[in-house]
Amino acid sequence: MPRILLVEDNEMNRDMLSRRLIRKGFEVDMAVDGKAGVEKGRAGGYDLILMDMSLPEIDGWEATRQLRASPETKTVPIIALTAHAMAGDREKALEAGCNDYDTKPIELDRLLGKMNALLPPKPA
Amino acid sequence: MPKARRTAKPRARRSPRVSHLAHRQRALLRLSTGIAGAHDEAGIFDAVVNGLHDEALGYNFLALFLVDPTTRERVMQSFVGWSGDPRLRVAPNAGLSAQAIADGKLHYTPDVTRERNYVASLSSGSEVDVPLKVDGVTVGVLVVESSEPNAFNAEDFEILTAAMDQAGIALARVRLLSEERRRADEHAALFDSMTAMAGDLELSRVLQVVLDRAVALLSSTGGEVAIFDEASQDLVISASANIGKDSTGTRLRIGEGAMGHVARTLEPIIIPSYHEWLGQSPKYADWVVHSVMAAPLLIGKRLVGAIAMVHSDPERVYGAEDLRLLNLFSPQIAVAIENARLFTESQRQKQYFSELVGNSPVAIVTLDTNKTVRSCNPAFERLFGYRQEEAVGQVLDDLITTEATRHQAEEYTREALDRPIAGIGQRRRKDGTLVDVEVLGVPVIVDGEHVGPMALYHDITELLRARQDAEAANRAKSQFLANMSHELRTPLNAILGYAELVREEAEDRGLKEFTPDLTRIASAGRHLLTLINDVLDLSKIEAGKIELVAASFPVRRVVDEVTATVQPLVARKHNTLSVRCGDEIGAMHSDETRLRQVLFNLLSNASKFTERGTIGLEVTRAGEEMMFAVSDTGIGMTPGQQAKLFEAFVQADASITSKYGGTGLGLAISRRLCRLMGGDVTVDSALGRGTTFTVRLPITARAAGAD
Repeated sequence: MPRILLVEDNEMNRDMLSRRLIRKGFEVDMAVDGKAGVEKGRAGGYDLILMDMSLPEIDGWEATRQLRASPETKTVPIIALTAHAMAGDREKALEAGCNDYDTKPIELDRLLGKMNALLPPKPA
Repeated sequence: MPKARRTAKPRARRSPRVSHLAHRQRALLRLSTGIAGAHDEAGIFDAVVNGLHDEALGYNFLALFLVDPTTRERVMQSFVGWSGDPRLRVAPNAGLSAQAIADGKLHYTPDVTRERNYVASLSSGSEVDVPLKVDGVTVGVLVVESSEPNAFNAEDFEILTAAMDQAGIALARVRLLSEERRRADEHAALFDSMTAMAGDLELSRVLQVVLDRAVALLSSTGGEVAIFDEASQDLVISASANIGKDSTGTRLRIGEGAMGHVARTLEPIIIPSYHEWLGQSPKYADWVVHSVMAAPLLIGKRLVGAIAMVHSDPERVYGAEDLRLLNLFSPQIAVAIENARLFTESQRQKQYFSELVGNSPVAIVTLDTNKTVRSCNPAFERLFGYRQEEAVGQVLDDLITTEATRHQAEEYTREALDRPIAGIGQRRRKDGTLVDVEVLGVPVIVDGEHVGPMALYHDITELLRARQDAEAANRAKSQFLANMSHELRTPLNAILGYAELVREEAEDRGLKEFTPDLTRIASAGRHLLTLINDVLDLSKIEAGKIELVAASFPVRRVVDEVTATVQPLVARKHNTLSVRCGDEIGAMHSDETRLRQVLFNLLSNASKFTERGTIGLEVTRAGEEMMFAVSDTGIGMTPGQQAKLFEAFVQADASITSKYGGTGLGLAISRRLCRLMGGDVTVDSALGRGTTFTVRLPITARAAGAD
């Protein structure tokens, strides 16, 4: 069962998305800000991290850079989630070290597609 | 003659031989030529005395006297055989020659010893006194003496009288010449002083001075000068001298009176008796005047005024000589009037321009070619705090620049010597504070010569502050919209997410009856999200906040992506999508994201308003433009509907929103984005016959501002 870390400060979005992912068969841990996200990410040994970009303490881009700088999380796939469908956001996220990027509101099928592309193939 | 010592020798009586006669003839000719060739009075007198002293004539004592008009004394002018005072003065009644002065006749005294009135020291001898006359008036006398009594005969009287007649004529001539020269000199002096006066005297005072001189020099009773007033076409009397009243200010029509007459004919006139003259003006009916002379005052052939001279003496009638003198005057008076007019005009012009500069709210400074200040206006003094006296003579850029702006300022000044410049910069006031200014510089060229630039400074501090305020306000608005959009979207995300979550849960638990309602919640939420995004987009475009991100991309890729995205919408109402875009269409250099947005808008619109029809997308290339035609076979539009199509928040019909959905902003956004990319979108439609939107974009997007 893939282990996912969801870094999201908004309580409702965190609750809603985690529950939908759990329903789809993921094991979901949560962090409420960038700092906690980096700490949990380094310690947890996750298969994939979903990173909101607008976070308190340190933002998603900085958190991503810090995770990429740690040997434990250097290769863990990270998907950026952003509310701003702005030109440049995608490039900015990829530059910080994210593997992919998706915009809110979350369309679950689309997000799952991106997640599955980054996760190791499921054991048969 | 008192104190005179005779040196004259007795005249030798010669036999009238032929050779002797020829000698005399030649001597007399030399005498005449000498007198005629003399240029002044002294020359004439010397010619007379030296000519008669000729050996062939044999006169050895000669003295020529002129009568002093004041003292009546005879004053010696030229002499031969006299060793006494060369400017000998003889009292009015003393001496033999007094008689010739008194009666104007030749007097011969054969034996001077018999004459009681003889004043010389000569013990014996004879004397001839010949009067010198000019225009019939005796002005002097020639004294010829001999130590022998009875030394002169009729032949001598003839020679001496002829010599004195010639001298009289010559004297009259040189006196006339010198009088004219004197007058000419006076005129020259007069008009020199007038030219000087023109600067600070009003014309009427100048004319009065000139008129008074003219009246005096022409020995007239009085006179008038009138100026021709172009505006009213009247003569206005501007100076009057001794005509019994002050007539200045009186207006004469052209043709009225003597001056009116000459103003019409442009020829001078002499009127022997004014009151018998048919052209007399009633304005002069009570005038005690007889002879009148008038002349037009002309500059070339243009009338500038008229002058009149009058005599109240019935005996005196003006003649050709008077007219000649008046004609010497009139051109100079005309020039004086013209000069005064030009001066007044130039003063007015100067005043007009100095008023303009003085009252200008813009700071104006003029420089010489060395870039030093020649003058500045009050606005300059107010703006920079330097008084004109402080600024003049200083190098402008030393006064009002700072370290940082000096280079730019000097560049401007240097350029403005030759051509107009304009710019914005910061300058320093006297108190050291800085001021933002708009600078305009122009070269000033007088008679083809660059005399140095003129610079204008406009204080734009307020303008810059207003612009900064406006920019700050705009940034605040954009920030607000971005925040607002984020704040709205966050709860909306939750709504949409939970609706999905509940629908999935309900379906899992077999509660299918909730599905339609939960789907509607999600659908309405998505519509709200689109609205928010569109309003944000439009606000950003209108605030000029959207910038093109131009890059090269293959057109075919955009078309493929858009058609793939829009395919579900097309299929929803059982439409078919027909795309015509060959691989050969090539690439564009523009904003790919915005193009995609525009095409998606148009295609989703077409899908919305068409049922069981065909949606077409055709891409063609026309020169430097790429054309995207999005057509449908839908409901179409009336011309009235088409007209409002691209306005924000307008759909063809309010009912459409409820039936077809949408924000009504898609086309407004599309048009603005197209224009931002340097192109446009147009519509062609007919009710019931479908619609075609055509997007035309430059293949290479120009840098374009916001709509």
